[in-house]
Amino acid sequence: MPVSTAMPNRVIPVLALAALGLVWVLDLGVVLPNRIVAGTGYGLYGATGWAGAFVVTALLLAAGLLATRPVPKRFPVLAVLLTAALMFLPLLLEALATRRLPADSAYARIGIGAGFWSLAFFLALMLTETMHQLKASRHLQLTAALLIILGWWVCARREGLGSLSLLREYNNQADQFTQALSVHLLLSLGAVLISAVLAFILALAMVRRKSWRRPLLGLVSFMQTIPSLALFGLLIAPLAALSEALPVLQALGIRGIGWAPALLALIAYSLLPMVRNTFIALMEVPEAVVDAARGMGMSERQIFFQVKLSLALPVIIEGVRITTIQAIGLTAVAALIGAGGFGTFIFQGLGQAAMDLVLLGALPTVFLALAADAVLSALNVRRAPGD
Amino acid sequence: MMRVWLTPVIWFALLGVLAAFLPAMGSLFSWVQPGTDDLVYSRDSFYLLLQSHAWLVLVSATIGTLVAVSAGIFVTRPWGRDFLPLVSQIASIGQTVPPVAVLALAVPALGFGEKPTLLALALYGLLPILRNTLAGMDGINPGVLEAARGMGMSPAGVLFKVEFPLAGRVILAGIRTSVTINIATAAIGSTIGARTLGDPVIAGLVNGNTAYVLQGAILIGLLALATDSLFEAVERLWARRSLAV
Repeated sequence: MPVSTAMPNRVIPVLALAALGLVWVLDLGVVLPNRIVAGTGYGLYGATGWAGAFVVTALLLAAGLLATRPVPKRFPVLAVLLTAALMFLPLLLEALATRRLPADSAYARIGIGAGFWSLAFFLALMLTETMHQLKASRHLQLTAALLIILGWWVCARREGLGSLSLLREYNNQADQFTQALSVHLLLSLGAVLISAVLAFILALAMVRRKSWRRPLLGLVSFMQTIPSLALFGLLIAPLAALSEALPVLQALGIRGIGWAPALLALIAYSLLPMVRNTFIALMEVPEAVVDAARGMGMSERQIFFQVKLSLALPVIIEGVRITTIQAIGLTAVAALIGAGGFGTFIFQGLGQAAMDLVLLGALPTVFLALAADAVLSALNVRRAPGD
Repeated sequence: MMRVWLTPVIWFALLGVLAAFLPAMGSLFSWVQPGTDDLVYSRDSFYLLLQSHAWLVLVSATIGTLVAVSAGIFVTRPWGRDFLPLVSQIASIGQTVPPVAVLALAVPALGFGEKPTLLALALYGLLPILRNTLAGMDGINPGVLEAARGMGMSPAGVLFKVEFPLAGRVILAGIRTSVTINIATAAIGSTIGARTLGDPVIAGLVNGNTAYVLQGAILIGLLALATDSLFEAVERLWARRSLAV
């Protein structure tokens, strides 16, 4: 049995106390008269009444206390408790809606307050620590995450949360949302794919020719240093000029603004992590392994595909992971030059001071990045033990 | 010794000269924006924007470094070690979140302007520093620390004379990453009301004035390259010094 089961855990109580303090001090949610105007904030007690306040307080205290007791099975119990708490967290906002939303106004809506976000954040940290103490497998962690997403999805479909301003904003823009999602995925994954192919060729060239290494790595890290807004901006003038000069490009939709400069810049940024990781991975295949393969009578081609590449794959996939996360974030910035995607909502929302439109763009961007991270890390774990 | 500083000095000089003389070079930009006299961004001087941009990055990097290094020290001491797994997970998961999303989310939480930008930059910028501090401090061979203690060094002595010198290069690399990200993110900060070199770019995009966009983009790019070459020089000096010892 691991030592940690017998020792009091200090991390979870500290997190629980912090969450307790924040959830009582900050506003859990806001009642807004309409889309733009600032609303009235309600704390935990004001939003959910004594019943809700009691449940939240008792849950946090119980979790904190349980973690300090040398009870067997306390971490599995905590894992279940915290996952369930996170799943049903949106019900707190539903309580606010039922208690405080004026019934006579069609425009009134519920905004999510800092107290709610803090509670969600600290519960997630407590769950992370619990999973660490449990030495939970990736499967278990993923299951918990999926359960929480399922819980939020079910809550969002309930009648009571129909007045949540984030959902109203989504319902207003459902078509644009789907389009933004597909543009965002197309641009970022397209850039990752193209740069993966390019990077593979460049890395192979660097492995073969020593003299290419320094200049190529220098060039790709130089591009990585240039801030995204600047690179997007710098590409506008040359692409506009090109498109003026060549009607073929114009017909393809390549202009100074839009998806073309965005894709070019995204590829430029993706090259550094891709090239570096692929190059390092191919270089680090031990010479002894290659010799052994040669001794077994493998051809150079077989050695490359069956030995070198398969040994290098985890590091290459790590490069793909870093690149994908980065590309998803940069695609959001590319909305500034008219490329579309979730960034459109962010910058529109900032322009109109409509905070929930900002959330409608920012939260899916974060979610996409986290999902890409989860998927590509899982891919690597599955491959890692010697296959 | 002085040659190390040559590249950053040249970059910064170029940046300063351009910031000063771009307004006088308006006619150069007429090829990207023909048919108008409005060729130079003039709402604020480029100097003022550069200054405010650099100030944002400098302050956020200072706050980020202080917080990240203190947190790194805390979780690598015996009494804070319980928090090490959680903090290192926060550092790595946090870096998955795109910086532009952090910037955007700062607005609903804190409103528009300089302060939300500063906070978002400091918060996001501390993650790479934290991660590298942990990697640097945790990566020190325990035998070395044991030996230092065995020599009768105090805990503070071990920290300042052994751990910091050994982890310093990795921490510095983290600060470099953080500053690079923050120069880029600060530029986007002009969409949430901070005054930065992103202003001309955004104004140019909104008004369809490519000359503005180009002026902002050139200065942002130069600022990033100049700063990066400064870090390069410092890292080189550091490496040389530790070789000499």
